[in-house]
Amino acid sequence: MTHPPSSRGRRFFQFPRRTRGQIASEVDEELRFHLDRVAEGLMAAGWGTAEARQEAARRFGDLAYTNQYCRDEDARRESEKRRMTILEELRQDLRYAIRSLRAAPGFAVVALLTLALGIGANTAVFSVMRGVLLEPLPFAEPEQIVRVYHARPVDGIDRGAVSEPDFLDWRAESRRAQSMGAYFFADGLVGMDLTGRGNPERLSAALVTDGFFQTLGTPAHLGRAFAPDEHVPGRDRAVVLSHGFWTRRFGADTAIVGSTLILNDEPFQVVGVMPPAFTYPAAQQIDAWIPLSVFGPGQIGRARGVHFLSVIARRAPGVSDAELDAEISGIAARLSREYDDNPGWTDATTQRLSEAMLGGARRPLVLLMAAVAMLLIIACANIANLMFARATVRQRELAVRAALGAGRGRIARQLLTESLTLAGLGGALGVILGIVGVRALVGLGASELPRASSIRVDGTVLAFTALVSVAAGLLFGLAPSIRASSAKLAGALRSGARGSVGSAGQRLRSGLVVLEVALAVVLVVGAGLATKSFARLISVDPGFAPGGALVVEMNVPDRFQSREARLLYYQQVLETIRAVRGVQTAGSVRDLPLRGNGEGVRVGTAERPAAPGEGTRAQLHQISTDYFRALGTPLRTGRAFANTDHASAPPVVVVNEELARLLWPREPAAGVIGRVIPWGAAELTVVGVVGNIHQHSLAEAPEPAMYLHALQNFRSRMSIVVRTSGDPLAHVENVKNAIWSLEPNQTITSTTTLASVLGSDVARPRLLAWLLALFGFIGLTLGALGIFGVLAFAVNQRRQEIGVRVALGATPRTVLALVVGRGMLLALAGVAAGLTVAALVTRSMQSVLYGIEASDPLTFVQVLVVLLATALLASWIPARRALRIDPAVALRYD
Amino acid sequence: MAREALGLVQGTVDVLILKTLTWAPMHGYGVSQWIRQRTDGALAVEDAALYQALHRLERKGWVESEWGTSDTNRRAKFYRITRDGRKQLQTDIAQLRRYVDALFKVLQTA
Repeated sequence: MTHPPSSRGRRFFQFPRRTRGQIASEVDEELRFHLDRVAEGLMAAGWGTAEARQEAARRFGDLAYTNQYCRDEDARRESEKRRMTILEELRQDLRYAIRSLRAAPGFAVVALLTLALGIGANTAVFSVMRGVLLEPLPFAEPEQIVRVYHARPVDGIDRGAVSEPDFLDWRAESRRAQSMGAYFFADGLVGMDLTGRGNPERLSAALVTDGFFQTLGTPAHLGRAFAPDEHVPGRDRAVVLSHGFWTRRFGADTAIVGSTLILNDEPFQVVGVMPPAFTYPAAQQIDAWIPLSVFGPGQIGRARGVHFLSVIARRAPGVSDAELDAEISGIAARLSREYDDNPGWTDATTQRLSEAMLGGARRPLVLLMAAVAMLLIIACANIANLMFARATVRQRELAVRAALGAGRGRIARQLLTESLTLAGLGGALGVILGIVGVRALVGLGASELPRASSIRVDGTVLAFTALVSVAAGLLFGLAPSIRASSAKLAGALRSGARGSVGSAGQRLRSGLVVLEVALAVVLVVGAGLATKSFARLISVDPGFAPGGALVVEMNVPDRFQSREARLLYYQQVLETIRAVRGVQTAGSVRDLPLRGNGEGVRVGTAERPAAPGEGTRAQLHQISTDYFRALGTPLRTGRAFANTDHASAPPVVVVNEELARLLWPREPAAGVIGRVIPWGAAELTVVGVVGNIHQHSLAEAPEPAMYLHALQNFRSRMSIVVRTSGDPLAHVENVKNAIWSLEPNQTITSTTTLASVLGSDVARPRLLAWLLALFGFIGLTLGALGIFGVLAFAVNQRRQEIGVRVALGATPRTVLALVVGRGMLLALAGVAAGLTVAALVTRSMQSVLYGIEASDPLTFVQVLVVLLATALLASWIPARRALRIDPAVALRYD
Repeated sequence: MAREALGLVQGTVDVLILKTLTWAPMHGYGVSQWIRQRTDGALAVEDAALYQALHRLERKGWVESEWGTSDTNRRAKFYRITRDGRKQLQTDIAQLRRYVDALFKVLQTA
């Protein structure tokens, strides 16, 4: 029998505290005793009783004052003692907790690591969630701001862009919107060339109307936003800079306001700088805002049919979303009746700005938060189980302590201190893991997370972590400490050295394991669905060959004024790049796949011409010679474009399989060649059919598309696809230099590889799949650890019983069945509960899944098999240990 | 009693009580008796001051108390000097000695 070191000479008992009444009566009694003795002495010397009492009181001095003085001193002493005791006990508990954790390093390490993992994951995901979702948007009263879309119900378009005339009418007529503004922006596609100060640079800029800044309501960091008259053509050469660009390019020089920048070869006055968090409408980074009026009707069409603006509105006070929606819908309906050049756009829809900005990120983040919460609960259940096991082993130690006078509350408090110490240490480790985790998350998903810059580990996050740690400590510490302190401790002293778990304790521990397994099942099902969905997504044929291709984005500068000069430059750029060593070919398109949708058009056929605004919807792309070869898109039939398809040659068109199928449903591909598509006053002859390209996203079906040669339908934006031999990035400098040898002032918007364009399209599903897989794996491991722990403990506890069974002739098979059977029973109960819960909760994953149902039966069956196999493995080791029990030794034990 | 007992200089009551208790644990009445007998009545601690001092010393942790039975078989509160109390007593005695030495230096030169 061993004594825990802690019980040596330590005072775990205390005198009961005295109340004020007790103090008073004690002081009274003490003083009465004194007076009586003095009086007795006087009476012995011959004094009369009454006189003796009087004399004693007189000699004493101020009796009433002394009595009160003594009471006060005693009361003070009591409260000081109480304070000391509590502090002293806490210190003892803490010291004891650390010592007993060090005495059981295996337990401490496992518990700490599990806990740190759980808390770290929660810290990391919470940091991201807070930065992205919970941090208020950098606008004044953001909940008052809505996005307004134009809708065309006949096509099922409910969130379309708006033409400028329509927007101006909406703004003029709306009474329920306090202000309304519009902008044109596409990340990485809209921009201005900055020259004249250092290197030429392509600025990512948003083109905004009057009302844009007023609607968002964010005051400028420096200077001001645009004044109304700066949206009037002729007076609109003004620019507002972003904080990021101002810092990066001008070193945050405050003298910038009022100075002049050369943009697109024209002087613009800097009127203001916006605050750091304000990057709207870009998700992460923008350089500048320019009045939309800078681009005249010659550059961007202002007809009602040209839908290109995004509209934001601030609701007037007291107006609901629905009321604003109804008002603008009414205006839109009336406008579509009044003007026949805009048929079908009869409706408008609204959406909260926060939802429009963050809606896509919300579901995955909430899913991840739920996953890490489950992980932490599993971790807590695991540690609670370990604590139960330890408490059982320590029953004698606790019994001794109780016998020495420690109350039940005192023992429970001490065990709880131990749990909270563990939780505190785990939390501290968790914060470190969390900081690492946040960095990793932001690094992996920066391009996919809106507002990634506001993600950080700060006071709020630390408070969250502290709260989670304490909650975890209570979660895994409360039940074991209450149970341990209420167990029949006196009985533990009498019984043998080995403590015994009551059947209630066993039930509780088994229940914890079932809970762990059930949560692990939910995590693994989620992980399975996300990884399968991701695998299906990346196995989709994008319609082009992503490997071995470089992408260079640039614009033909405005200084090439004549059409001929632009076309010549366009062709020269491509020819120069094709001549670079290692380049096989190069082709250009206005909107790169997965980066833009081309121009929306409606077409008919010569046989069935379409009325204006009617016909089959298609994406129109302007491409160069060799575009399909550079992209790796197969030509199904006919021919691709050649340089002979120039401006004065007959207009020709290439369609994709989808458009061919829609326009000529009964024709084989070859039969489409030579057919005619009416195009305004002209007619386009189909010369080729190409394979479908996923233009918008891998997760969405390819759209019908038609391709015109840029020589016949010029657009100045060039997304040049360069097909190279070997690593495409090795050719970046040569390609850039080739362009600059032609035109030293050419700004290049970006260079990247086709593979990374494809990669960023699947970045979010990939991140989700990876993280859920990671959490699923950890959950599974912890669940297995839980089963293992309970069985190993049970085998240890039941040594004697097993020994007796073996002595009575039980075969190894029976013993194995006994242990493994119990493990599998726990696992089955957990799996059954887990699959039921998973079937309910994974439904919420549907919107982030591709090509797989959230209720995919195969996944559920696979999870069942994986879980049971893991459980079998976890039961096997304790079972083997049970087999090795020597009955002779086991029976002699104790 | 021929002579009036000497009143005590402020602060010396504590020293006297602590010193008394180094002999044995005793109750308040015992302490007052003991001081009177040892000094042949020359020093008298007023009872009120004695009890105030005892409770003050107990709060400071220099003495501790326990209820017991007196020689007359009555319940009485007994005081015992603590380890801290003994240390304090040494400090007090040293300080008192310096005070008295200084005092006499002045008195004798006069």
